[in-house]
Amino acid sequence: MSAQVVTENVDLLEKFPQSVKQDDRAGYAGYIVSADHLLEVVRFIRDDMGFDYLASITGVDYLPNGLMEAVYHFYKTSGGPGLVIKTQVDREQAAIPSLVSLYPGADFQEREAWDLLGIRFDGHPDLRRILMWEGFAGHPLRKDWHEPYYEEEGKPYKSRWPEGKVYRREDKNPFHKNVDYPAGFDPDKWVPDDDSTLYASVNKISSAGGESGIKTDYVIVNMGPQHPSTHGVFRMVVALEGETIRALKPVMGYLHRNHEKIGERNTFLQNMPFTDRLDYLSSMSNNFGYALAVEKLMGIKPPERAEYLRVIMAEFTRISNHLFAIGSLLNDMGAYFTPMLYAIEERELILDIFEATAGSRIMCNYFRFGGVARDLPEGVEEKMRDLAFKRLPRKIDELDLYLTNNEIVKARGEGVGVLTPEQAIAYSASGPVLRASGVPYDIRRADPYSIYDRFDFDVAVRYHGDVYDRYLIRVDEMRQSVRIIQQALNGLPKGPIQEGKPQYLVRVPAGEAYGRVEAPKGELGFYVVSNGKANPWRYHVRAPSFVNITALETMAKGNKVADTVAILGSIDIVLGELDR
Amino acid sequence: MIMDWALLTEWTIKSLVLIFGLIGGFAYLTLFERKVLARFQVRIGPNRAGPHGILQPIADAIKLIFKEELIPAKADKIIFIVAPIITVIPALIILAVVPFGPDIRLFGRTITLYISDLNVAVLYIMSVTSISVYGIVLAGWSSNNKYATLGGIRSTAQMISYELALGLGFVGPILLSGSLSLVGIVDAQKNVWFFLYQPVGAFIFWVANLAEVNRAPFDMPEAEQELTAGYHTEYSGMKFALFFMAEYIKMIAVSAIAVTLFFGGYRGPLVDQFPVLGPLYFLIKVVAFLYLMVWVRATLPRIRYDRLMAFGWKLLFPISLGNVLLTAVGIGLVGITGNNLWLWFIPVSTILFFLLVSHFAQGAVAGGNK
Repeated sequence: MSAQVVTENVDLLEKFPQSVKQDDRAGYAGYIVSADHLLEVVRFIRDDMGFDYLASITGVDYLPNGLMEAVYHFYKTSGGPGLVIKTQVDREQAAIPSLVSLYPGADFQEREAWDLLGIRFDGHPDLRRILMWEGFAGHPLRKDWHEPYYEEEGKPYKSRWPEGKVYRREDKNPFHKNVDYPAGFDPDKWVPDDDSTLYASVNKISSAGGESGIKTDYVIVNMGPQHPSTHGVFRMVVALEGETIRALKPVMGYLHRNHEKIGERNTFLQNMPFTDRLDYLSSMSNNFGYALAVEKLMGIKPPERAEYLRVIMAEFTRISNHLFAIGSLLNDMGAYFTPMLYAIEERELILDIFEATAGSRIMCNYFRFGGVARDLPEGVEEKMRDLAFKRLPRKIDELDLYLTNNEIVKARGEGVGVLTPEQAIAYSASGPVLRASGVPYDIRRADPYSIYDRFDFDVAVRYHGDVYDRYLIRVDEMRQSVRIIQQALNGLPKGPIQEGKPQYLVRVPAGEAYGRVEAPKGELGFYVVSNGKANPWRYHVRAPSFVNITALETMAKGNKVADTVAILGSIDIVLGELDR
Repeated sequence: MIMDWALLTEWTIKSLVLIFGLIGGFAYLTLFERKVLARFQVRIGPNRAGPHGILQPIADAIKLIFKEELIPAKADKIIFIVAPIITVIPALIILAVVPFGPDIRLFGRTITLYISDLNVAVLYIMSVTSISVYGIVLAGWSSNNKYATLGGIRSTAQMISYELALGLGFVGPILLSGSLSLVGIVDAQKNVWFFLYQPVGAFIFWVANLAEVNRAPFDMPEAEQELTAGYHTEYSGMKFALFFMAEYIKMIAVSAIAVTLFFGGYRGPLVDQFPVLGPLYFLIKVVAFLYLMVWVRATLPRIRYDRLMAFGWKLLFPISLGNVLLTAVGIGLVGITGNNLWLWFIPVSTILFFLLVSHFAQGAVAGGNK
């Protein structure tokens, strides 16, 4: 992260000598931009410096300094390292200009920062809470916000181990009423929010229609949170004209548990198994991103064999995730579980390998800082070889043969939910969604991490940006993943799997790091700030499902109800990651 | 007097056998479907209740009967309760005119294996099958639920579009046999099954049937992925079971009708010598068609609603019209020349016509997508 600064700093500092200064805190990189000139500087960054992709927006609450800081990570879709800028404002009146006018993809991420950190983004078109409910008291990620039964800042809590025995705070309360209400709140008299702000935001957009001149009303339908095709407790509020979608607002947060707050309470290593729960279909990739971020902070590198194992596991994860994604996409199109179950059959075999190696099929918790947890047990390498060289290529071909040219799959997918390349970049879409729109941006190639620069593989890209291409790209990517696994298995060296000694309490120097990987669903980034203590000061997850869903309305508008379901399926979301 | 009494008993017994046969058939059709689907999907299927799961339908029935019946507070209660009944009764009575076998002699009486040889049997079937759409629409409307309403609206539109092709599919066999009675139509297929004269007609009839009974890939009104459960979203317990029953009994009924119209009904080798073989052949043919329905469900994704309409109006309807015309031409040629070989003009010309239209209509149907 420090290397990138050298190449770019001439430009920005010279161009805006008053408003931009170098971030010279120890362990930090990038620039600090004053809030008044943010839009101006960002426009320069986008138009003149060519950073067209806004990967991540988040905030950090520096309580001791009384500052609230917004952190922006920019990248170029042509590849290369990124650019970090920060804006610092007073944490009591935190207001920063919104970037939605420049990068529409900032929409949900800014809403998230407002919701959790209380940074107001001036000029945001629809600044509502996104993960918490309307009426929630306070902004939970602020360091002075404390949950009920708050004990102390970081785990392990001393109170839980009196005389070496575990006990839970709730156990003291005989009726387990472990709920703490704000002062003056009576749950019996509480009237739930009637979603009026939400419906107002749908109507704001939908009232612009009316081509025929006849006055018609739109029907507002709530798809979800209890709905078979929203892949969990996701909710879409759609305004329908007949069966055509005129406006759509995603509503999320039903599975919210404030992953980031819990993560800031945990020690660094305790977060490793916790990342498994983000995208619970591809836990190895989650581990990968978090391990990269913390390793950047610690300045260590895993040994060769561990790097190879990481790549093999991450690519197997990608295959299993894409199999599942294709299966559920076909399900969403109404194929009655048949493709799904054939896909799951292969996924099970991959999970067998995970189980043998990591000890768990889904919640793998396999990566460690500077290595991996365990070496391959006996016989697993043969199993992997068998899968990667024989079975998987054959099964992927089979899937391709039966699904790709199916008339109905084509009819349901072609030309549906189109996202143009410009839109895809603007909305910060990533992963298969971005590449199906004709942008060959794959972090494994564009900004290589781990040892991906050693492998020979193609960045899969398709050009129509519709549901059908988002299906095809997953088939392509599985083939490329098989190629990578084959090469990695052939080159797998012998040796240690862990740098140094495995330790429970790692020492992480103060500083910040952004670790990004090409997770199966898109760019998975972990922004970690350490202040040298045992727990991260800030732990932010840039979840691909969450950011990809920003473009859902654009894709769905003008399509039919049935298409919305297929479009959502083609984005491939997982609620564990979306709601965090 | 004594004759009337005997006749009445015969009818009662036959009706009871038919109705209980259909209800039992429905129960085991669900098991059949689940087993076959499971085999298609590399699964085992139900195998816990009884050996090979044969008691599964009974367990399901007990569960459904004892389940709580919920009526939404803002539903239109009377219509909400009547709707499933309107749906299930037509399904039960469709088969009254279908012959299951040749006449048999029992207790010194000639017993016909159909309940009624209605001389306008085909019209009867057409009208009775259409009634059940009222049940679906009313169910969707009375539930006071947006998904249910959408499902109800979809089903009306779908039924109207497909009824036409379905009706025209009936015309082929009627023209060939010169009879509106199903008994007459089966008798006319003594030598050649109408399927051979009417391949296109049979195909269209079958596709329209799938739409008629809301089976995949035309299960729009209850599209799970889009409308949760469509028109029966708010139904539970036995009222839900009635909808379920109507769907499956109609599956049996339309398979039976398709068999009767195009595949010789109960006819098969040696059936004239051993009349008992008739019902057996009939059963085998019906099961084959049911298998086909399950197969389609296991294989195909759902067609989108607006494309389904385009498919119905722009493809099926013109093809079935052409099919009727060419059939009439073929029969006319037989009448003029007196040579029965001209009947083979029908399959040849209709298949050519089918290929031609589907080639040109592809763009028209796909155009509905944009």
